[in-house]
Amino acid sequence: MTLNSPLLAITNPLDHVVQHPLPGTENWSFSVTNHMLMIFLAGILMLIVILMAGKHRTIVPSGLRNFIEAICVFLRDDLARPILGESTDRFIPLIWNTFFFILFVNLLGMIPIDSVFFGTVHHLGGTATANIWVTGALAIMAFLVTHIAGIREQGLWCYVKNFIPPVPVALIPLMYVLEFAGALIKPVALSVRLFANMVAGHTILAALIGLAISSGTFVALGIPVGILTVVGCALFSVLELFVAFLQAYIFTFLMAIFIGAAMHPNH
Amino acid sequence: MDPMVLAEATKVTEAIAQSGLSLTGLGCGIGAGIACVGGGIGIGKIGAGAMEGIARQPDAGGDIARNMIIAAALVEGFTFFGIIVCLIGLILG
Repeated sequence: MTLNSPLLAITNPLDHVVQHPLPGTENWSFSVTNHMLMIFLAGILMLIVILMAGKHRTIVPSGLRNFIEAICVFLRDDLARPILGESTDRFIPLIWNTFFFILFVNLLGMIPIDSVFFGTVHHLGGTATANIWVTGALAIMAFLVTHIAGIREQGLWCYVKNFIPPVPVALIPLMYVLEFAGALIKPVALSVRLFANMVAGHTILAALIGLAISSGTFVALGIPVGILTVVGCALFSVLELFVAFLQAYIFTFLMAIFIGAAMHPNH
Repeated sequence: MDPMVLAEATKVTEAIAQSGLSLTGLGCGIGAGIACVGGGIGIGKIGAGAMEGIARQPDAGGDIARNMIIAAALVEGFTFFGIIVCLIGLILG
């Protein structure tokens, strides 16, 4: 590892979380980035893992099937059924898909694909949810499902009427402005929450490692700082794994709450 | 505002800008710090309430802990929102 290795790019911590064109596609007229590759990989992995889990149908599940089934049953019975009630079965494919997609994409971002397989930084891996467009697309999907489900459940006139809580007549225009703003802000908050969590986590990891590398110019300082940073990064990565699961759960939970509130507003 | 105070403030701002210090960086740094303070206080209060609830009724420990994590993630969402706004201001400014 010489001093002019590509690892020096790590001293700019944001270089690690933004998207890069895949090596070989830099001059194409449309961009193929590493985040797109990660989304594609997450989709393929979901197909493989979940279809593998569903193959052997025994009475008592074990191994991978038990793991996937435990997560799915938890999402259906403890998250969806208290919120959605009878329409749980209609929305549970969406809820399962959203949870597993965000989980797989977050966890793929924690795997150092470049360093393990290639040794240098080609920027093949990355966290796709550290991209505001990816989380924005998920939030737009949640927004569309919320309002379309609400309109189909209650009818357009009843949906618009029940959009606001019951207030005196003079306040109704103000309430419509507030609720409209809220309807726009909720998906924005949903996407920014996931985006900011992922960006902040990976930027902190990259900055810590950059600290270890830049203090490597003094040998007396470099070794203890290096040991402390590596231990700190390992512990912080454990926290990042927890945040990956938690943010997938929070996104799915809030999406379920918005769908439930749109279908059965209990004003 | 009093015109003399305004003239003084303008002179100070120009002096800071000419000496190479970055007011954008200062503002973004202070903003991110205050956002973290707000988030820390909020999540601390959530944790304190959860501890008290579990102490009163240990059987409800699982439910209370799950709700605490959800509320903490929501508060942290807005903390990160403020931090990202400061980061964007720092990079684009």
